Amino acid sequence: MTETNVVLKVEGLQKSFAGTKILDGVSFEIDRGQIKVICGPSGSGKSTLLRCLNLLSMPDKGRVWLEGREITNEESNVNDVRQRIGFVFQEFNLFNHLTALRNVSIALEIVKKMRKDEAKALAMKELEKVNLANDAHKYPAELSGGQKQRVAIARALAMNPVIMFYDEPTSALDPHLIGEVLDVMKKLAQEKLTSIVVTHEIGFARTVADEIMFMGEGRILEHGPPSQIIENPEHEVVRDFFRRINELYRRDEQ
Amino acid sequence: MTAFAEFLPYILSGIVWTLGLVAGGIGIGFVIGLFMAIGQVYGGEELKAIIHAYVWFFRSIPLLVLLFLFYWGVFPATGFKLDPLACSIVVLGLRSGAYQSQIFRGAIMSLGDTQLVAARALGMSQMSGIFHVVLPQALRISMPGWSNEYATMIKDSSITFALGVLEILTRTRYVVAATNEALIPYFFAGALFLVLTYAGTKAVNIVYERTKIPGLVGKL
Repeated sequence: MTETNVVLKVEGLQKSFAGTKILDGVSFEIDRGQIKVICGPSGSGKSTLLRCLNLLSMPDKGRVWLEGREITNEESNVNDVRQRIGFVFQEFNLFNHLTALRNVSIALEIVKKMRKDEAKALAMKELEKVNLANDAHKYPAELSGGQKQRVAIARALAMNPVIMFYDEPTSALDPHLIGEVLDVMKKLAQEKLTSIVVTHEIGFARTVADEIMFMGEGRILEHGPPSQIIENPEHEVVRDFFRRINELYRRDEQ
Repeated sequence: MTAFAEFLPYILSGIVWTLGLVAGGIGIGFVIGLFMAIGQVYGGEELKAIIHAYVWFFRSIPLLVLLFLFYWGVFPATGFKLDPLACSIVVLGLRSGAYQSQIFRGAIMSLGDTQLVAARALGMSQMSGIFHVVLPQALRISMPGWSNEYATMIKDSSITFALGVLEILTRTRYVVAATNEALIPYFFAGALFLVLTYAGTKAVNIVYERTKIPGLVGKL
């Protein structure tokens, strides 16, 4: 019973680039409907972890199970795995030559083999969800950063993923555009869409996350409920990290 | 002058041959160039080395030498019987493929890898990603370079007079021999090339403008 509830299970993940260990034994699992936020200093392996989990980057060691089936063995098909994992990039990575609508519908046609009109209708529905129905005909270069990121979220959602990965989804945005993206993410969290979010938006983590995993030096240093990790962490590094972020926020408010 | 006017239709019908050479050469070169560019960006080390050698070979040897080498050497030796026109088209195409591959390669590289990564993250295969996401953008970026290739090709096509292909220059030379008048026929041939070059590059520019991606300035 509990086993079927686990969407993603990770065990002893390791990854090195050119001799440098980026991931040094990461293990965790996430249940259906859970939202986990990953924090940590840059270079701690957060992005690499997400990329290893959807096999954009192949882990050197360790195993990953998606809905109970191992995806790190030889039989698993990377294209099938990735269809079931929605990935939102820091820099949006929208297809520059396609309208917002086509950005969302193209993979439905090519990967899911949907009919053109079906794909279009579904894409429109997804764009409505992120409040962009009126901008469906626009090209990425005609959209603001916040709009682009919402199209990217719609594009990932349209594939009907079992889990969403967000890789610093608001880090490339102007401050006044962050809110509209976080609002969409909050709405999806309320709908209990299982998600892993790499972010430093402490407010978002506090209100939405079921758990914060703090990464340092390629490992999960500490994990637990947001209030505990943010206000009362065990590790000095974690305490230091959140103190600095809090100072930054206070300075902004003044 | 009256003699030249008489031969005018004869020279003008060389346009069809010249354009045939250019269309054939560019067409073959396009297919070769596209696949070699993809191989050079995404292929393994051996494939990259082979393509590199191909490009280096065809860019280092004068066109006239290539034409003679293939017409009197390579094709007869390998048992192919190609007439001068067919041989010229193939050689122009093989050579243009070398140049076009570098145009396309540069365009693909300028896109960076984020577009393909996004496609792969959605579950597209590498091939799907390349054909549906990378190439539509790369081909647009390639167009200015590609119009240069057309301009080069239309001028280079005249070198096939050496094999007697009945394009504009070959016909003009016959007229010069027959009329004993050089200035006007050659001037006329030059003017024809000028018009063809201008019209072609203009046409590519129009396509380039028409396929511009709204909002995206400069890069695409």
